[in-house]
Amino acid sequence: MAKVALVEALTMAMAYEMKHDPSVVVMGEDVGKNGGVFRATLGLQDTFGPERVIDTPLAEALIAGVAIGMAAMGLKPVAEIQFSGFIYPCVDEIINHAGRLRSRTRGRLSVPMVLRAPSGGGIHAPEHHSESNEAMFAHMPGIRVVMPSSPQRAYGLLLAAIRDPDPVVFLEPTRLYRLNKQEVADDGEALPLDTCFVLREGTDVTLVTWGAMVVESLAAAAELEKEGVSVEVIDLATVSPIDEQTVLESVEKTGRCVIVQEAPISGGVGSEVAALVAEKALYSLESPIVRVAGWDTPMPLFKLEHDYMPSTARVAAGIRKAMEG
Amino acid sequence: MKTFNLPDLGEGLQEAEIVSWHVKEGDVVKVDQPLLSVETAKAVVDVPSPYAGRIAKLHWKDGDIVPTHSALVDFDVGDGSAAAPAKKAEAPKPAAPAPKMEPISEDSGTVVGKMATSSALVEETAIIRKRVVKGTGKPKAAPAVRAYAKGIGVDLTRLSGTGKNDLITRADVDKAASSPGAIAGSKDRRGEARPATAKPSAPIAPIAFGEMVPMKGPRRAMHASMTRARSEVMECTIFDDADIHYWAPGNDITGRIVRSIVAGVKAEPGFNAWYDGEKLARQIHERIDLAMAVDTPDGLIVPVLRDVGRKDGAQLRADLNVIKEKTHSRSVSPDDMRNPTITLSNFGMMAGRYATPVVVPPTVAIIGTGGIRHDVVPVLGGVEVHKRIPLSLTFDHRCLTGGEACRFLAAMIKDLQKAT
Amino acid sequence: MRTTAAKFEIPYTQYLDPNGKPNGPLPAFAKDPKVLVGMYKWMAQVRVFDTKAIALQRTGQLGTYASCLGHEATHVGIGAAMLREDAFFPMYREYGVQFQRGVHMHEVLLFWGGDERGNCFKDAPAHDFAWCVPIATQFHHAAGAATAFKYRKEKRVAVTVIGDGGTSQGDFYEAMNCAGAWKLPAVFITCNNKWAISVPLSAQTSCETLAQKGIAAGIHSEQVDGNDIVAMRDVMDKALARARNGEGATFIEALTYRLSDHTTADDARRYRDAAEVEDAKTKEPMIRTRKYLESIGAWDAKQEEAWLAECAAKVDAEVLVYKAAGKPPVASMFDHMFANLPERLARQRDECVANEEHH
Repeated sequence: MAKVALVEALTMAMAYEMKHDPSVVVMGEDVGKNGGVFRATLGLQDTFGPERVIDTPLAEALIAGVAIGMAAMGLKPVAEIQFSGFIYPCVDEIINHAGRLRSRTRGRLSVPMVLRAPSGGGIHAPEHHSESNEAMFAHMPGIRVVMPSSPQRAYGLLLAAIRDPDPVVFLEPTRLYRLNKQEVADDGEALPLDTCFVLREGTDVTLVTWGAMVVESLAAAAELEKEGVSVEVIDLATVSPIDEQTVLESVEKTGRCVIVQEAPISGGVGSEVAALVAEKALYSLESPIVRVAGWDTPMPLFKLEHDYMPSTARVAAGIRKAMEG
Repeated sequence: MKTFNLPDLGEGLQEAEIVSWHVKEGDVVKVDQPLLSVETAKAVVDVPSPYAGRIAKLHWKDGDIVPTHSALVDFDVGDGSAAAPAKKAEAPKPAAPAPKMEPISEDSGTVVGKMATSSALVEETAIIRKRVVKGTGKPKAAPAVRAYAKGIGVDLTRLSGTGKNDLITRADVDKAASSPGAIAGSKDRRGEARPATAKPSAPIAPIAFGEMVPMKGPRRAMHASMTRARSEVMECTIFDDADIHYWAPGNDITGRIVRSIVAGVKAEPGFNAWYDGEKLARQIHERIDLAMAVDTPDGLIVPVLRDVGRKDGAQLRADLNVIKEKTHSRSVSPDDMRNPTITLSNFGMMAGRYATPVVVPPTVAIIGTGGIRHDVVPVLGGVEVHKRIPLSLTFDHRCLTGGEACRFLAAMIKDLQKAT
Repeated sequence: MRTTAAKFEIPYTQYLDPNGKPNGPLPAFAKDPKVLVGMYKWMAQVRVFDTKAIALQRTGQLGTYASCLGHEATHVGIGAAMLREDAFFPMYREYGVQFQRGVHMHEVLLFWGGDERGNCFKDAPAHDFAWCVPIATQFHHAAGAATAFKYRKEKRVAVTVIGDGGTSQGDFYEAMNCAGAWKLPAVFITCNNKWAISVPLSAQTSCETLAQKGIAAGIHSEQVDGNDIVAMRDVMDKALARARNGEGATFIEALTYRLSDHTTADDARRYRDAAEVEDAKTKEPMIRTRKYLESIGAWDAKQEEAWLAECAAKVDAEVLVYKAAGKPPVASMFDHMFANLPERLARQRDECVANEEHH
């Protein structure tokens, strides 16, 4: 089994699916000859040729819109948006069309596409390259939003996303692209969408998170263990629609809930999780829900990015607050 | 003396291979003068000199693979300081359990930024666990009630809730607060809940309060079933006595009582049933599985005598003996206690005449028999002393009427009062 | 019967060939050597700065940096023609324009060094926009500024630059189309350096020229040799005059070559032919300008050496200012969110500041 980084697992998944399904096509800026600016599509054009691994002109709305057209005609496009801050021109196409084509044609037309993009900060990048915009898509009906947090889940979830008959916005935590490696079997086995992954079992407090914040969350949980607090860490993975059962069952067990997100606190996915827990597990709560999140400001330029992103210390403080009640 | 470490190249991985040095030891160099060419996985890159000065020492030679951040070149910059201790950085440690946040090394595969790259193996488990588990045993209460309870020092784990689905209500908290011992562990409030005892006191040594011991085994089960009973059943109890003055010798009391219950069920089958209060439906059983409440040192256990309606006295006695033995040897199994259809509580051994025994759902009736007494009874204008068994019948008034209860009891008494 | 509904023509301007030889009479301003020397000195300053910035990045002292190697004539020509009251809407490489307008080198370094204070522009015009990363959005902004100028009847021009890749973006066309429809005082320039990261021009479009995309917007469109400082300046002068006189917008395609990588973390050798790069180096702007100036006796090796030394000293001084900037206070994340900070944000700011003091 290969030990691969998250970004390499993505390449593996695309290669596997392209090999087994001729309708899968990869497209985006610099994805072909250059293998993608993060090398996520490295080697794919050599293997599958320029007709299936397409270097598009520089136009994001084009990438999203053309993918929709291709998907509606029976192809399975895996479209890449180069940087998180460049996804906004796609919003028109994704929200106005990808998310509602099936519904408005009563199932006659559908959009089996994946829109991949990097997400989040922490790589010392220039401005507009560190966005956390999952909530924007999560709020819109008809779209799935998936965020892998490990090489294994990147492989399994991307396969699932490509195979899913409906549109998936697949946001990849940039700073996890090469942070570590994991053994990933290239066996074509997908992981389920709409399902949480419990990364650490615990009994005192439920910590719900996704994306790159999984790192700080697990680190904080380890720190709190030394203080005698048992933290259960849940990775949403599919940020929309949320797997309610896993989250609620955990909160009923622990009685405490901490939500950790890199994105700005207001109106984020964490707000949805908090509402869900308050609605359906209120009587199990022994202390108020705690949210640890980014501030309601744009991600600052990188000198201050670590003051923006929730640190392990901030997450740990949030857990302690939930324990105090 | 200044030491220049192999910098983050912006596209380097954890290491770079030296293609060729452009300077040698002893050379005098200017700032930005190319020092060496290194090859990363992606490209050959020239590294310029950050200092002006004399090359004092090259730590590596052509062809060496240099880990990022390790010492590369020592410069004599003429400031008189000593060289930094020549530390060759160790190769990055593999398999760190929790990858650090600070970039360990630079990455390529990006046209912007610096990405932390390492070969550290991520250690993790990921479990899919989509199921709903109910009844975890932790007290459930609305946040306002929790805050209220905390404010007056009531420990929710010592309460059972009377709200829907065992929810602890504010009334439950108030009730608990007014009973002694409910307030545990709160230093300030202990005195407030206790009834005021006006005892002028010489200062006495404080006696510690009892330790909190969690319920286990039969007591724990009893808590659960009683809690459920209270929240579901509408209990109503009828009391009466059976005059056994005219019993022939040799009657086995328990056997007779069991037989009388069978008679009662025959008269009113609705008492041998299971009731579902949510569906508003009941199952009347033909077969009578009689639960017998038994007091043991470990607490109350309730083994079940199976199919008592079709067994004769001898068989019943035999079955009873089996139960007694199992009870003594503590070998009553969960199967032995499962699914009774009606319950008998023969409680009067030491004290107690009448009681309001508790109907445990889904059954709908429980018969309580108190201690056999010699009572003074009026007989035909005179008084006599007769042996009597006090009877208490608690039934679930949600599905059984008072009239039915009376008829049940009447049938029981009629059978019990027979000589044999 | 079929007739011709419309035809178009794209003029092309060049005055100095790659060896610095004039191919015809030069425009009036070029007759004064001081003007050309002035522009050449700016080009040299930009190049010295650019080299240093790359070195800073290579020694871990600067974040990702977008080099402008090879684009000096295009950029300096634009900046030399503009007036201070005009407004500039950059992409992210046009230091040659910006230095002439008063942007400090340390401000460029601060920006790439991850510090918003680089965008403050202490001395450059306050109405100039900051670097623009989302590609082509700057074209809309320029059209908007031009609209404001026209609305207030000011004789000011909005000038903006985009790469060849950027001409594939919808915003690019939308802005120019609007400028045509509204006859805006704007000059749109595409710095066609033949590469959009790894995507060559041939994969970007099937148009013969990028200039003709301006025809589709109904505005005056032309091509210029972007490595010829004289041609750049001339074409810009005329475009600005056109705009100032109410004659509407211009679209200029400046032909040059990206001698550097896209940014310091890119490696163009992955996707580019070394021979092509070597050939382009022979046509780069510094060579021909220097040769021409030397041929008219306006420049020599001694002046070159002295000037480069002066440039280096200036760059070094600016690098010191950059390095001394340190980390901005964390509260600054909130300080400029709104004119009046909402309560919710004020609380977050307090929490953020408290967090920082804690750790």
